[in-house]
Amino acid sequence: MSLSLKRITIFTGHLGSGKTELAINFALSLKERGLPTSVIDVDVVNPYFRTRLVREKLEQLGLTVICPRGEWMRADIPALPPAIRGVLEDPGRYGVFDVGGDEVGATVLGRFKPLLPAGDYHLWLVVNACRPFTRDKEGIISMLEGIEKACRLQVTGLVSNTNLGAVTDEETILTGHRVVQEAASALNLPVVMVAARRELVEQLRPHLPRELPVLPLNLFMQAPWQVFS
Amino acid sequence: MAKILMKGNEAIGEGAVRAGCRYFFGYPITPQSELPHYLAKRLPEVGGLYLQSESETAAINMVYGAAGAGARVMTSSSGPGISLMQEGISYLAGAELPCVIVNMIRGGPGLGNIAPAQSDYFQATRGGGHGDYRVIVLAPASVQEIIDLMQVAFDLADRYRNPVMVAGDGILGQMMEPVELGEEKEIEIPPRPWAATGRMGGDKKLISSLYIVPEELEQHNLKLAQKYTLIIEQEQRWEEYQLAGAKLVLVAFGTAARICKAVVDRCREEGLAVGLIRPITLWPFPQKAFAPVINEAEGFLVVEMSLGQMVEDVRLTVNGRRPVYFYGRCGGMLPVAADVVREVKKLYGGEGQ
Repeated sequence: MSLSLKRITIFTGHLGSGKTELAINFALSLKERGLPTSVIDVDVVNPYFRTRLVREKLEQLGLTVICPRGEWMRADIPALPPAIRGVLEDPGRYGVFDVGGDEVGATVLGRFKPLLPAGDYHLWLVVNACRPFTRDKEGIISMLEGIEKACRLQVTGLVSNTNLGAVTDEETILTGHRVVQEAASALNLPVVMVAARRELVEQLRPHLPRELPVLPLNLFMQAPWQVFS
Repeated sequence: MAKILMKGNEAIGEGAVRAGCRYFFGYPITPQSELPHYLAKRLPEVGGLYLQSESETAAINMVYGAAGAGARVMTSSSGPGISLMQEGISYLAGAELPCVIVNMIRGGPGLGNIAPAQSDYFQATRGGGHGDYRVIVLAPASVQEIIDLMQVAFDLADRYRNPVMVAGDGILGQMMEPVELGEEKEIEIPPRPWAATGRMGGDKKLISSLYIVPEELEQHNLKLAQKYTLIIEQEQRWEEYQLAGAKLVLVAFGTAARICKAVVDRCREEGLAVGLIRPITLWPFPQKAFAPVINEAEGFLVVEMSLGQMVEDVRLTVNGRRPVYFYGRCGGMLPVAADVVREVKKLYGGEGQ
């Protein structure tokens, strides 16, 4: 991918926009480049499908996972482990933040505003144009404004992540991408990448501008009826 | 119309709006908080009212008031909150008020945890409130089915002037699936001549469950009983999956049924004659589903996310004619497909011994 990398990358967005899968896959892509990478779960909104649930798997893959430990892992409380600060202060470490959905989830970020390395972080808004409140330009802009207000930080780019779960096809992604692109133009922000399930990337590639990176996704969150081993 | 990706909790909200519900009273609790969150945004768009009450006890009594005034109204919670609402649900049933109550079940008893469970089956189908009453209970198993069943829930509530509960679990509330919403239709809510909307020179309209004279309360109870009998006759709903020639019939609802469906597919691939009965109404329990399979089936395996509650209804239905086995996880733990396959194989090998 021809992405400009920064030491800290923060994925924010509306509830169910796909931040967790993106954060995990993006962190793994950094790790594959040989960069020491931590993925930081600051999702205090979603009670179920969040990074901490696949911690062991990610650690086996070489990532450091920062999330509440022990019995606090599944607690319904906004607990933020002190190790987050360690990532922010370590100039040799890359940090990928998975933030909770909507403005409610983004509020947490404000707490780290004074600690973010000046000019050395991305704050990306993940957008799925198939979700109820971000189906058009206006919805996306309103979501972005709510999130920026809550975290007191400026979004620096949009991630085009339109999908319908298992039934996503090329058309779903391209139609959604046009909506995201339209919102980005109105906001004068770049679309920094398109994300797509790994098996869709090849057919998608020719339909997107050459310079636009596509992040292939391997999905980590599984429903209990998908688990046969 | 294009498909959209929705969380189960959001789908309950959207399904309710599309069913003509314009009033929601509730109090947030994990794992259903996305539902009040969604309706707080959505109801004002359609001229409805979303109100966060001070407690679940207040919410259910607001539902009583709104239903008594003739509104299509809903509340939602998870186990602990639904427990608090039981007094109100008994009053609603006694006063014959239509309403929809959503329970996205979490691990219990007590405060328990926020993980998914189905252990409120007894509470939903037997009633945690007092008196001889019944609540119709619907159990969707996918986000699309949630949308469709919300309309059914409100219609049944009206048809029988009775509370209807939609029972899901945390997984169903939290997971996202594509849904087809279809055209948004103008819903004509059936007339409610009994509603307390003012006498207007006519007869007195009284919403009450108070019958001081025992003879009168007995008559009221018998009238309710007739209604419940009619519901049992008319409203049993279920889904059959791969029942043809099934030697072992799985019985599961909601998320457990999703797991069992995947298990049936896997077992059929391996040549095991396994099928599934998925109750969609938990009350009335779909006894009719069992008659056609009871002769051919050698046994039933009930899978629940509890220590075994629906299994009692299956045993009452099968009535000793076949063995009824049980497999469950509890406390917010989920049976995964692999666990159920193992149970099936254990039984399959052992049957007839």
